[in-house]
Amino acid sequence: MMREHRSLIVWPSVIAAGLLAAACTDQPKVSMAPNRPNFWVTPPPAECVTGKWTGGGRIDPTGNRAASNYDNVDEPAGGQPAAPDPTPYMTGKVTFGFNVFLGQDANGNCIVKKGEIEVNGHALKIAWHVSIHDGVDAFDGRPVFANEFSDGHPGGVCVVVGVPDNYMTAREKGKGATEPSELTQFEVCDNDRGGRQNTRSDAMRWRSEHHGDTGMTYLKGGNVVEHGS
Amino acid sequence: MNGKSMHWVNRLAALGLVVGLVAGLAAVGSAQSVGGQAYSTYVNTPLGSSAQSPLAVLPAVSGTDGAEADAEGDAMNVAGALSSDFLNSITSGEIGAAEAGAQSTSSAASVNILNGLITADEVVANVMSSVGQSGAFSAADGSTFTNLAIAGVGSLSGDSPVTPNMNISLPGVGYVVLNEQIPSGDGVSSSGLTVNMIHVYLQNLVGGILNPLTGQIIGGTLQTTGEIIVGSATSRVAS
Repeated sequence: MMREHRSLIVWPSVIAAGLLAAACTDQPKVSMAPNRPNFWVTPPPAECVTGKWTGGGRIDPTGNRAASNYDNVDEPAGGQPAAPDPTPYMTGKVTFGFNVFLGQDANGNCIVKKGEIEVNGHALKIAWHVSIHDGVDAFDGRPVFANEFSDGHPGGVCVVVGVPDNYMTAREKGKGATEPSELTQFEVCDNDRGGRQNTRSDAMRWRSEHHGDTGMTYLKGGNVVEHGS
Repeated sequence: MNGKSMHWVNRLAALGLVVGLVAGLAAVGSAQSVGGQAYSTYVNTPLGSSAQSPLAVLPAVSGTDGAEADAEGDAMNVAGALSSDFLNSITSGEIGAAEAGAQSTSSAASVNILNGLITADEVVANVMSSVGQSGAFSAADGSTFTNLAIAGVGSLSGDSPVTPNMNISLPGVGYVVLNEQIPSGDGVSSSGLTVNMIHVYLQNLVGGILNPLTGQIIGGTLQTTGEIIVGSATSRVAS
């Protein structure tokens, strides 16, 4: 009887975790925004997650898939499109910093509950910024959807912020800015979870409606950390 | 599987849960702290002054949380001392169950110090600090100069590595330290690093005596009368 009682304590939590995981794989009801860019195709639906991600650093995208810093392994993970999408490749130094907390909206869709993302394209002299408060993009008032998935590195995991069809609106500043704001997408991969954090295996990708796509690129310096739920 | 086996399986599962929970709570409960800041320029000279700008300081982070701060400026000009544009500073930090970290980056483009004495197309300072089961450490990977030139000394084409704390004399002006790195922490439970990519120290000779025969000054001491910093980034962690 005691043995059965202990089983009742242990196994319901396992079953509950399974049910939660199953529930979290439901397709989100992402709204169809009227200004959806026609050059980006819709990837698979977002998965339900509650992660916290923080990091920053520098990448030097070259647009050359044969370059040693091109992360060909992670780029297609999660159904993400091959770069450059949109064209052209965004090259030169790109520095960034971010902090995003994921959660769910009332319909179970994966959203960014709060977040700040800063990306600087040094060759273009453009500074992009995204602010998300209470699940809403501060620049357009729309929710920002996210997706988290395993990548091509053992134990690696990536997050995409601004999944279709909404993407996310980033403010543009700097001498190279060509419009006040535009649709963008941010993706990072943490490939050294639990280990020493200077493996240079973390990666970042930035997609801009009007200025191109860096492609998934390993960090030259800095760090990307998925630090729990 | 008989009842006895199931009994031990359940015991092991329960033990695993307890160990996991205790380990997790211990990690979360430790007094981890992270800090960071970044700024593109700082000028304090007789020619003019400008505070650390644009300055990004990491807000307090506690629990299992994270934060990011950034600042930007279109241009900086302190006549005769420094001009630059596209100035950006970012810092972020996080505390997780297994690790804590901070990372900062600052940059400045079209850098011109002391009327062309030192120029660079771009300067990027980039640091990160991390503490976890493997210890604490910091690194300045990603810090770089682009087309750095020092009048009377030489120039570097493109992105070129510069040995940390390279000290170069600037006759009549003082000296400059390139890729100045200031570490902190014990490397076990704490670590920090400040990188100043260009740090000019302005100096004057004080207290010397003019030799009337040679026209040279004898004795005296050099005193720092000002400084200019371009590209500064700091990160630190402790557990």
